[in-house]
Amino acid sequence: MKVKILIGSVVAAAALIFCAITFVKTNVEYTDFQTAIASHKTVQVKGEWLRDRESAFEASSGKFIFAMRDDHGKEMKVCYDGARPNNFEIANAIVVKGRYQEGVFQASDILTKCPSKYEGDAAAVKKTL
Amino acid sequence: MIGTLLVRGAFAAILVSGISYYLVFRSGNGRYLQIARYAYHCAVAMVMGFCTLLLYFILTHQFQYTYVWNYSSTDLPTPLLISTFYAGQEGSFSLWTLYTSIIGIILMQYTSRKNYEVEVMFVWSLILSFLLLMLLVKNPFAFIWDTFPKDLLHSGSIPAEVSNALWIDPVRRIWAQIPVEGRGLNPLLQNYWMVIHPQILFTGFSSMAVPYTFAVAGLLRRDYQGWVTVAKPWTVFGAAVLGTGIILGGYWAYETLGWGGYWGWDPVENSSLIPWLVSIASIHTMMAQRRSGTFVRTNFLLSILCFVMVLYSTFLTRSGVLGETSVHSFVDPGNWAYWLLLAVIFVFGVFGFGLLLRRMRQMPRVPVEHSIFSREFALYLGAFTICFAAIFITIGTSSPIITGILKGRAAAVDTAFYVKTTLPLGIALSLLAGIGQLLWWKSSSRKALLASLFYPLISAVVFTAGLLIAGIRDIPYVLFSFAASFALFVNLSVGYRIFRGNPRYAGGAIAHIGLALLFLGFVASSRYDEKQTVSLEEGKPVDVLGGYKLTYLGNRPLDAERYGFSVEVDHGNEIYTVMPIIRYSSFTNSMMRHPDILNMVTRDFYVSPVSVETPDQRKEQTLNFKKGETRDVNGMQVTFVDFDFSDTEKGRMVTGGEFTIGVILEVRNEGKKERLKPLMKNSGGSISYIPAAIAGSAIQFTIAKLQPNREDPSQSSVEIGVTAPGSKSNKPQAETLIVEASIKPFINLVWMGTITLVVGFILTIVRRVEEARQRD
Repeated sequence: MKVKILIGSVVAAAALIFCAITFVKTNVEYTDFQTAIASHKTVQVKGEWLRDRESAFEASSGKFIFAMRDDHGKEMKVCYDGARPNNFEIANAIVVKGRYQEGVFQASDILTKCPSKYEGDAAAVKKTL
Repeated sequence: MIGTLLVRGAFAAILVSGISYYLVFRSGNGRYLQIARYAYHCAVAMVMGFCTLLLYFILTHQFQYTYVWNYSSTDLPTPLLISTFYAGQEGSFSLWTLYTSIIGIILMQYTSRKNYEVEVMFVWSLILSFLLLMLLVKNPFAFIWDTFPKDLLHSGSIPAEVSNALWIDPVRRIWAQIPVEGRGLNPLLQNYWMVIHPQILFTGFSSMAVPYTFAVAGLLRRDYQGWVTVAKPWTVFGAAVLGTGIILGGYWAYETLGWGGYWGWDPVENSSLIPWLVSIASIHTMMAQRRSGTFVRTNFLLSILCFVMVLYSTFLTRSGVLGETSVHSFVDPGNWAYWLLLAVIFVFGVFGFGLLLRRMRQMPRVPVEHSIFSREFALYLGAFTICFAAIFITIGTSSPIITGILKGRAAAVDTAFYVKTTLPLGIALSLLAGIGQLLWWKSSSRKALLASLFYPLISAVVFTAGLLIAGIRDIPYVLFSFAASFALFVNLSVGYRIFRGNPRYAGGAIAHIGLALLFLGFVASSRYDEKQTVSLEEGKPVDVLGGYKLTYLGNRPLDAERYGFSVEVDHGNEIYTVMPIIRYSSFTNSMMRHPDILNMVTRDFYVSPVSVETPDQRKEQTLNFKKGETRDVNGMQVTFVDFDFSDTEKGRMVTGGEFTIGVILEVRNEGKKERLKPLMKNSGGSISYIPAAIAGSAIQFTIAKLQPNREDPSQSSVEIGVTAPGSKSNKPQAETLIVEASIKPFINLVWMGTITLVVGFILTIVRRVEEARQRD
């Protein structure tokens, strides 16, 4: 019985260490463009889509290119590997995941934060009167 | 008003019920039992009452309620209108409360037969009281003028032209303006899945509380064995329902959201997966305890943990704690949810685990009678492995909290974390799901085990060799396929034997066959999926993904907002037509894409629309010019010369009359020079813009913003919008549809596996219910 518990604990400890290592390796830091440029690591950056700048889907490469400004005011061209995400136009904030490469932020993932649709706001109530 | 009263009444009644049950438990005196039952039924009646009322308000568009206004609108078809009931926080908590209260009635009858009513219903009332407390704080019946007092409340007399007014306080002459339309349902949710999926999920969530109440009841009355038999059918039921809910959610994502997958490791998905995994683990150890009386503490631990994980998951997704790191967690609902949910986890965690710790020493030690080569041990290892999967996924999902505490900044893990950590567990689980079925209770002879291993092992080796020949080289996935196929072959042969004997006992084997198919489907469809983005010019066939010829045939409107795009898929001698849909929602002012799927036996051909380029599509861009600055616009040199704002116009501006400001632009294009003057006209505050176009071309310049600098006129700048037809070179003549085409090999295994798994569950439930009934 003792041996069983010992083996069990060793296996459990090994599993948790494996988990911890993977956790650190795959953890994507939440940061701004400045740090992304400095580190060249995969990071997440929150910001807003600059609607008035040119944005386009490049059919030949399958990439969606747009401009974004992070919370510290730094602007950056973002190149996303895919089509414009479903909720992109209504998002009040977007989070891009990827890395800085050759002057462009290469995003592998975009999260769109939907606006306060879920908590009513005064402008909306006036529209429905 | 009645709604709020009913919520309060239900809360009061459930407190009475809980206290009365506690008194019966404490005194052993049945005097209060009738009161407890009566109060419980009252509470349920009131819960049903306010839910019906909320539904009635939604169906009759009573926009004076903030919740109704926030999630529904008059143009929704009835099924979707009903589904707006649980589109928001307040409503989904109401639904959870409703199902919990109804399950409680069944539970009351069941436990009174099993002589377990007092303790179980005491804990159940406690759970229900916390759910109702949540609704007291976040009331679904809040009035809209209380939510927006500044915008809606007025005093004095109601003007004649206002038809949507309501007196709030006639004495103090206060009235409110009521919206005539609601904000409507998010178009992404406007789907038949929305009608069914949350219902199943919440039934599962509600039933996950049952094993917890039985475990606590068992601890309270020091019955360490009997509770397992009584609780078992409920655990299996909860796991079956929640599992169905999870996979339906996956199918929803795959079929309508168009990102091409069925599982994204999002916190919302994980939050239902974690309790499900714990419940699956506990099903296995409960089975061992019923058979051999072992794993007493493990079963208490897992049953308590399961519900605590339901609460923790709710906390993760509903409190806003994940903040910006998740896609679909609710936007910050305020402090109330955060602290209340945290308190709920604390209360039920401490209650359950604390009681377990106190009783631990008193529990009689059950001597271990099983060897390593026993089914008990395999079950234990299986549960152990499943729990580790649950732990890993919990750690991954909680990453923003963990990193927030450790590093002060929240960071999520990449989905690779989940794949990397759960893959070895998947391999171990598959092997156990095979070997475990071949082992006997207590102990089995090694010879018999080896003999029964022979054919499944050979089959799995042959299967894996086939995969290697087919070109699969990724070692972890080869191992996973080997292990899963081994589990499949073992359970096929075991299941066949049991099925011939007594089909009702085949539930376990059938569920494991489903699991093995599911695992094989995961490997094939996610690891070996191929993707390609292509531009399809109308009428011109394009070859994609080796062997598929796509031709865009044209589009047609399906209704006011949705357009269908017909694409012909030519695959060898078969020709199909698919029609992915793009919806231009005026509600959210956005575009939504729905894929179309060509379902074949060995693969799905998945076509997701990306965008449409029409030949006359105009490109618009906005440019910022400083005074005197020259910029390149589509090959033209454009200079912002100066404002055109004469003294006469200035005088008009001062006197408040109509005035015009112009921007003088100099455009040099192919050697020609031209001056243009787009205008801004202000007549009494209403502003209009008059564009200027280059002679003989469609390129237009419009003022977007004027930024004059009075102190230093040379620092003035303007923003100019330039509208031009699509780029001049290689301009598409016909309409071009851009799609993402992908092949999902053997994705049918995922759905087949799921259905098989659920069938296995149903057979098991039937059997366990019969067993529990025999004990009466």
